[in-house]
Amino acid sequence: MTAENNLESAAAKGQDRDLAALFKGLVYRYGLVAVLVLMIIYFAAAEPFFGTFRNAMFILQAASVVAVVGLGCTVSMTVGGFDLSVGAAMSLSIMAAAAAMVIGDIGGGWAILIGISAGLAVGLFNSFLIVYARIPDLVATLATLFLVNGLTLMGVGGQSVAQGMFFRGEQTTGSFAPIFNWLGSGRVFGVPSSVIVAGVIFVAVFVLLNYTRWGRAFYAVGGNPVAAAAAGIRVARYRIIAYLISGGLSAVAGLMLAARSNRGDVNVGDPFLLQAVSAALVGYAVLGANRPNAFGTLIGAVFVAVLINGLTMFNFPYYAQTFVQGLLLVIALLMSYTLGPSRR
Amino acid sequence: MSSQSSDGPDEALASSGPNDAPPLIAIEGLTKTFGATRALRGVSFDIRRGETLGLLGANGAGKSTLIKALAGIHRPTSGVMRVDGRACDFRFPSDARDAGIATVHQNIDDGVVFGMTVAENLLLDEIATTGAPPFVTQRSILARARAVQQRLDLDLPLESPVENLSPSARQEVAIARELAKNPKLLILDEPTSTLSEREAEKLYEAVAEFRTRGIAILFISHSMSEVKRLCDRAVVLRDGRIVSTHGTPMDTEEIANSILGDLVLRVDHESRKGHGSAFQATALRAMPHGPEISFDIRRGEILGLTGLIGAGKSELLEQICGHRRIVSGKMAVEGADFRPRDVADAMEEGVVMVPEQRALQSIFPGEPLWKHCSIGLLSAFEAGGFMQRRREIAFTEDVIRDFRVVADGPRAVIESLSGGNQQKLLVGRWLSRGWKLLVLDEPFRGIDIGARGLICDALRAYSEEVPVLICSSDPEEVIEVADRVMIMVEGGIVHIAASNELSVENLASIMAGAVAAPTETKVEAVCE
Repeated sequence: MTAENNLESAAAKGQDRDLAALFKGLVYRYGLVAVLVLMIIYFAAAEPFFGTFRNAMFILQAASVVAVVGLGCTVSMTVGGFDLSVGAAMSLSIMAAAAAMVIGDIGGGWAILIGISAGLAVGLFNSFLIVYARIPDLVATLATLFLVNGLTLMGVGGQSVAQGMFFRGEQTTGSFAPIFNWLGSGRVFGVPSSVIVAGVIFVAVFVLLNYTRWGRAFYAVGGNPVAAAAAGIRVARYRIIAYLISGGLSAVAGLMLAARSNRGDVNVGDPFLLQAVSAALVGYAVLGANRPNAFGTLIGAVFVAVLINGLTMFNFPYYAQTFVQGLLLVIALLMSYTLGPSRR
Repeated sequence: MSSQSSDGPDEALASSGPNDAPPLIAIEGLTKTFGATRALRGVSFDIRRGETLGLLGANGAGKSTLIKALAGIHRPTSGVMRVDGRACDFRFPSDARDAGIATVHQNIDDGVVFGMTVAENLLLDEIATTGAPPFVTQRSILARARAVQQRLDLDLPLESPVENLSPSARQEVAIARELAKNPKLLILDEPTSTLSEREAEKLYEAVAEFRTRGIAILFISHSMSEVKRLCDRAVVLRDGRIVSTHGTPMDTEEIANSILGDLVLRVDHESRKGHGSAFQATALRAMPHGPEISFDIRRGEILGLTGLIGAGKSELLEQICGHRRIVSGKMAVEGADFRPRDVADAMEEGVVMVPEQRALQSIFPGEPLWKHCSIGLLSAFEAGGFMQRRREIAFTEDVIRDFRVVADGPRAVIESLSGGNQQKLLVGRWLSRGWKLLVLDEPFRGIDIGARGLICDALRAYSEEVPVLICSSDPEEVIEVADRVMIMVEGGIVHIAASNELSVENLASIMAGAVAAPTETKVEAVCE
């Protein structure tokens, strides 16, 4: 009789374990998305304005800059890297573009080109340090962060770049080009142009990572560089490309930010490093990807924006926002690392 | 793995010498299992006071497990270890150290701590001991290190950081560190595997010196010439057992036979002659100062490459496949000059390799099978800039079917497959294409007989179209599949023959052959 009981209880235990595993799997895959959806429903129910199209656009606009920088970080993470210089690259491209227009008095197209080139130059410098000088990614990009921030400050003598500023004792005559006004406050069918730019970039990065040979190679390099090289993938080349993309997207985000205020403030890109990295890391936990991925990063950026927008509406003190972001990051990391499939 | 031998001789062979005091170390019936793997299956042998004992064996014979048991890293599953006649149960490495056993591991840099000076490294164990005085000054360390140095009669740059030293000097520090503990037994695990010949020579002198001080040494090596030169006795480990003991004068052929085991040469295929030359190697070198190597691979044949570990096989293959730059000489594929800059370059020229270490060099952790199948052929599955996942999956399904890979479909994660099935997939993925040369390094390591037979058959069929080069340190595996066999000893090719012309006896004697006059090759190397 005991034997039978034992068998039964063992079977019941097995069932419990299966259920627990199933639950764990569900949380792991859909947990974060479910929390996001529930949060939106709750905010919308409690505060009618939250659920309006207008507020949705506010949220997306807030998310767009973080999303673009975060997508750059994501690409560098797919090759097993980590780009700490994205905020600095943003600042540099902002200052370069703003100075070109205000001090150099040149057209918007050229200014955008100069800004993006600045970001690409940062990416190129990073890949030089990492691929040729063989400095580990974290410390190499940390050094770049300081160098680029310093360069930015030196370039404009430590002051902000705004219309009518004095430069070397003379008042400047240039101004921000119309395209920046469009980027900063323009709308297409009611959708802010910065949201559209971020959307286009998201689609491009998503397709790049998931549907192209390059994306496959990026993930292979990040997954096992030795095996990637043995399969005929030129590891160095893909790491260079990844850091160029990271620098380039930082520059785009910088231009989006500059267009909002029509000025170039010193080191204004700095806080975006942590926000972008956290969006990309939160993205690991989205749909059980457990790896850097474009969709996850987008969700990560939107998640933070929804959270801050909602909490602000409920008069949650602004100074507690950082704490809430940290909490979100810890929860997301627990989900992808602790609940996720164990890897040696 | 070579097939099992008769189990009898263990105890008879390993019993200690005449009826004097108990041997320094006596090991009886030591076993160690890891899950279903039986790494040691009853090892019995003695180490006498002050003797230098050589331990030989092929890869996977159980050498490292045995050393780790002696060093207190692995706890044996059963069996007895006696030190000075007292039974010991080592739970931690410190237990082994307290019993007087010091180990210098194969990887030199495991024995030293970078960022510290030589003096600090020498005294590391003293500093790290609980109960040691909490405050140490550079001066007190230096003084104590000088004392150690004087006692051991060494000459080391005490104040220089250990990372500034050459590998052999670092090894000297690691050995000195162990000697400072006044061990009764010093275990040296393949100490010369990363040393140049001149550095190895220095080590040999050191070993001879330790011996005069009465320290017993267990010397693990792949090189029979080393063991013959240094050791009083040698034991051979195979399939987790001691299969033979050899006293001086050592018969290297007998030892080679013992390491290789009872080879069953099963050549049930004809040795195809091939036609024309598809690949030529002229005056290559496996090692910078090694002998020149020239050979060719014909169309319609499988060329096998074998030799003991350390013979330079991998170094040679890596040059052919673009993993490393060629040391000297030149190569040609179908008459055209071939000098790959990297693996990608070699593949563009039509030369592809299945590397030796599956987990390290072929597996992408957590990725599905279909990504593994297409990763080396990405552009073949690309149309208009986009990957065609459907075709990748269909291709993977073909590989799974053709090579009878036991898997839960193409979307299964690679780790869910057994080693043999992983290998079937990783070899199978290349065979759908017309390469100009397919190279496989140790393709049968750690896979079952069934998978091996299937891969062999597939390669035999494929080699009708594309020449194949297979390398293995197990001659049996090579002879089973190859048409011609090439044997490497100490960086040179010593013999090439049709596989059905080889016998166990001549194989062993060939492998031992170049060992007969080790000094000659050395003189040659130094002159160049």
